[in-house]
Amino acid sequence: MNVNPITYQVIRGGLINACREAGIVLRNSAFSPNIKERMDHSTAILSPKLELVAQAEHIPVHLGSISWGVRNTMALMENVKEGDMIIVNDPYIAGTHLPDILLIRPVFYEGKLIAFVANRAHHADVGGMAPGSMPGDASEIYHEGIIIPPVKIMEGDEVNGDILKLILANVRTPEERLGDIKAQISANRVLEKRVLELAGKYGDDTLMETMNLMLKHSERRMRRRISRISPGLYEGEDYIEGRKGNLLIKVAIRVEGDELFIDFSGTSKQVEEPINAVMGVTLACVLYILKAIADPSGAANDGYLRAAHVKAPKGTIVNAKPPAPVSGGNVETAQRIVDVLLRALADALPGIIPAASQGTMNNVSVGGYDEDGRGWTFYETIGGGMGARPGLDGIDCVHVHMTNTMNTPIEVLERYYPIRFLKYELRPDSGGAGKWRGGCGIERAWVFLGSTGTLSVMGNRVRTKPWGLRGGRPGASAEYLVVRRNGQVVRLGPMATIRLMKGDVVILRTPGGGGYGNPLERDVNRIIEDYLEGKVTKRIVAEIYGIGELEKRLKP
Amino acid sequence: MCALRLGIDVGGTFTDLVLYDERRNKLIIRKISTTPSNPEVAVLSLIDEVLKEYSPNEVKLILHATTLATNALLGQKGLELPKGALITTKGFRDILEIGRQRRPALYDLFVRRPKPLIPRRLRFGVEERVDAKGNVIVPLNEEELRDICHKMRKEGVKAIAICFLNSYVNPVHELKAKEVVEKEVPNAWISLSCEVDPEHGEYERTSTTVVNALLMPLVAGYIRRLEEGLSRRRVRPRLLLMKSSGGAASAENIVKRPIDLIESGPAAGVSATAFLSKVLGIRRAISFDMGGTTAKAGVVIDYRPRMRYELGIGRIHRGEEGEGFECIVRSAVVDLAECSAGGGSIAWVDEDCVLRVGPISAGAEPGPACYGKGGKEPTVTDANLVLGRLPAKLLAGDMTLYPQLARKAIEGRICKIMEIPLIEAAKGVLRIANYEMANIIRLTTTERGLDPREFTLIAYGGAGPLHATDIAEELGINKVIIPRNPGNFSAYGLIVTDVRYDYVKTLLVKLEELDPGRLEREYQELEERALKELSKDVIAEDEIVTVRYAGMRYYGQSYEIVIPVPLTINTTSDIMALSEEFLREYGRMYMQAYQGRAIELVDIRVSAFALSKKVLPKLPSRTSDIKVSRRDVYFIGHGLQEETPIYRRDDLAPGFELEGPAIVEEYGATLVVNPGWNLRVDEYGNIILER
Repeated sequence: MNVNPITYQVIRGGLINACREAGIVLRNSAFSPNIKERMDHSTAILSPKLELVAQAEHIPVHLGSISWGVRNTMALMENVKEGDMIIVNDPYIAGTHLPDILLIRPVFYEGKLIAFVANRAHHADVGGMAPGSMPGDASEIYHEGIIIPPVKIMEGDEVNGDILKLILANVRTPEERLGDIKAQISANRVLEKRVLELAGKYGDDTLMETMNLMLKHSERRMRRRISRISPGLYEGEDYIEGRKGNLLIKVAIRVEGDELFIDFSGTSKQVEEPINAVMGVTLACVLYILKAIADPSGAANDGYLRAAHVKAPKGTIVNAKPPAPVSGGNVETAQRIVDVLLRALADALPGIIPAASQGTMNNVSVGGYDEDGRGWTFYETIGGGMGARPGLDGIDCVHVHMTNTMNTPIEVLERYYPIRFLKYELRPDSGGAGKWRGGCGIERAWVFLGSTGTLSVMGNRVRTKPWGLRGGRPGASAEYLVVRRNGQVVRLGPMATIRLMKGDVVILRTPGGGGYGNPLERDVNRIIEDYLEGKVTKRIVAEIYGIGELEKRLKP
Repeated sequence: MCALRLGIDVGGTFTDLVLYDERRNKLIIRKISTTPSNPEVAVLSLIDEVLKEYSPNEVKLILHATTLATNALLGQKGLELPKGALITTKGFRDILEIGRQRRPALYDLFVRRPKPLIPRRLRFGVEERVDAKGNVIVPLNEEELRDICHKMRKEGVKAIAICFLNSYVNPVHELKAKEVVEKEVPNAWISLSCEVDPEHGEYERTSTTVVNALLMPLVAGYIRRLEEGLSRRRVRPRLLLMKSSGGAASAENIVKRPIDLIESGPAAGVSATAFLSKVLGIRRAISFDMGGTTAKAGVVIDYRPRMRYELGIGRIHRGEEGEGFECIVRSAVVDLAECSAGGGSIAWVDEDCVLRVGPISAGAEPGPACYGKGGKEPTVTDANLVLGRLPAKLLAGDMTLYPQLARKAIEGRICKIMEIPLIEAAKGVLRIANYEMANIIRLTTTERGLDPREFTLIAYGGAGPLHATDIAEELGINKVIIPRNPGNFSAYGLIVTDVRYDYVKTLLVKLEELDPGRLEREYQELEERALKELSKDVIAEDEIVTVRYAGMRYYGQSYEIVIPVPLTINTTSDIMALSEEFLREYGRMYMQAYQGRAIELVDIRVSAFALSKKVLPKLPSRTSDIKVSRRDVYFIGHGLQEETPIYRRDDLAPGFELEGPAIVEEYGATLVVNPGWNLRVDEYGNIILER
């Protein structure tokens, strides 16, 4: 069947806009700061064959894993009917980690299945050992919270109250969870409504054929891009930090004609630490990189993946098996998988690949109980330095690669939680030196005012550094500290859970990005500008950039 | 002696004048090229034009819309922002630069973030702290502040923004800091966050305050030069400026809050729509403005524009990437959606062989290919010309279009690549442009839970009438109005606008805990403030009106819904009524509501208006010869209509009727009447289209 090219364009725009609109509905009707302030959620439309067709620009790790999750889920469901909505968070099925709850709705038009719509949102708590459900000391997935297998949260457009009750009884902040789940339901209904409008206006056949064409176009773009890379084998490796030691992630990318063969063989075996990633996460990372090198502004869909063959040995940290804990997989390991893929491609695509970015999301979960025994939790992630690009400095204080959530306003946090902020500033000297400088990280610090609480920090690049490229220096490592009231300083490892007492100060310094090119080749005006802006100190200017007598240079 | 009302709209290309002479019941329209870095030059030459016919003391009122603020923020040459500084709570000076820690594009490895409005070396932290409840935790260190002042003086800072954490709860330190800074840096403009935007959210408040501070010297200087120029001409009118809210304010007030000017120009068009909808009794209207580079849509319900309270200023603007800044400003703004589809928008084929329109525009130079000024790219105007929808002569013959150039551009850049015939390509360009434009109307209606089919489309701007019936069909709208002089409708909006002041107060209280007496008192206090401000700007014949709104949400949410509130609140049942209104609106927007969940009153809002006396002049009915010519025209979705009748609008007197298909041409605009539409001219000369 032929679709008029103009109609194609109109439907394509309609699908992408629907995802955007549903994302706003989800944000505006949500209750937890993580969704309503930080937009830690994503919306998508899939073809009846369960391929991701359209999405809004939300969070790469959510979206790349969504079709894997929906496919696994639907394979396990029987008798799915019009008016049903399915809820699932089991990472081994849904694709990320337990706090991400996925809601899926089949869309029927005149009795015929024409699409699936889905959205994923990160809930601030789903039970488990520690508030925020990302305990650094988890050794199996059961420590990380309630596991929801694929079940119908809605049947015949009626919410199944029993399932909701069961979920809410297992979380620390049930009121908030209920509100967020309802917001997710609203978002799916908006998506459904818009898909039905398009089917009604242009016909369901035209709609579905457009979906096929969208996938084909993305595939074609990807193949065209790959065929411009010199054939060969490109390898990369890097370490993700576990509690007990560093774990290797290895990739070999073979470029053959217009196809990529991506093989993670040689990667460390899975561990009893929450650093394992499920396969959905690894696929999301591959999709992210493919889109970034082939078509950054085009619509993201599964078409790109058709030109790539991914092999990740089962039982490794990039394709874990139950019951391994996985809460850090899609936030931390995902960032490192991207680093490794970029490292490998740096030789294949010179002039395009940046130095390593901060390589973590600096996940912070805090929680406790107030005097009335009512639980509170909040979760946030903190930006850092972006790796320098060929011809361009890395951006300072920003989220990189697999995430793009916003910060929580300090005034919101101070209003609702027993903490008071001391600092939120750029971290000088953290960006790796180079002809092009890596972005600087952030320093965020607060004092705990509750009587007791629990802090989980899931971060990385504490022992290692984001690498530079072509002579660029690495960015600074992360530093996560708790300063007790008596002055004792506790240095936290990459995955830590720790009790907080009143008056404890939490200091989080996020990594900088790696530099690109020889620092001695950096334009003097840029060095002076960095110095004047307080992003690079005099010592680094003298030692690394080789400008000893800065004062003289500063005189007009 | 009767007063003259002058409306002057400074746009990107033209500065428009609309003058209403009440005595003669006459509208006069003038156009002149804008003088971008000194906009007052063009404004004053228009005044000189007026003074050829009238004496200076007849000019009693000038209403003025200007793009000055926006252009400065977008980095226009000649309008450089002054050297500014920011004072924050110590430890938080980078809030402005970190923003919300997001990158502007997700997958682009070469993404850039625009530079912050104030460089880091001019952002200073000072020791002070107020907690979230408003308690002073650390007193303001005035000595440190004086040191900072010393540095600012040395640097020659001209504008200073002060924004401390939690100052929206307790502004004591900001007020104190202002006293010190005023004394220490006497020649700088100072903007306090607690005065400009007293709401929570430190980044947005900081950004708003900084933008305000930086615009102050620029806008003050402009207004001073303008007033001096007027004064030299012995013209001493009441000078009002159009705000983004669609209301006007005195020059004196605008100098204090220049952020209110950012959407000044577009707001004028919506203001005109609001007035026209009131005269015609249309309770639900869509304001649709299509010009050369962009199209804008807004919604007017019960004769008032729908508002929003946050505005992002981006790098992509008017179809071109600027060198300016990216920032957030919180201020009352008419809720507009904008897309880069205008007459000059370029159509192109991407590497997947998909036809696209915009965002790049051919602008005025070289303009569409058919202008014959060297443009090689096909544009929306070229497609309209090829399809016979535009005449070969525009602006009463002052401008000639070249159909063969339009054909060549479309054939070369579209037909060859896509292997489709000329007519199909031209229709494709219009269908895509129409889709984009229909989409911005969806953004302001369906996405807000409103059904566009219940609305009347009021279409204006040079290109609005060309596409109006197509877009109406796309959205299921059955009534379209084309006002008189659609190309000058925005400027006309100026002379029918009202003085307006908006006040907000954050309450953050659960409805169930709210005492009706207290709510009434809070509203009255805001109203008193508003009326006090207004009293400086009104003249005797103005009618004063205040309107109340409330921002409400479920307790725990972050995004409130703004609903209208009755003028007096006495009892708990009045509060119950608020809650019911909220539930209705919430259900409409999110397709579900909660039972028994607490509702929070976030803030109360008062808008105060001084309604001026204004009229819509009637069009004298006359019998004149109606000249009809004919040509073949392609209609979108209706195919080729041979020998379509072509009318001249000037011939059409009140009461005239016709059935589509037809084309109606006038100075500066061409109307396409699709088959199936009935046209009539009302007593004011508006064209009413219905199907």
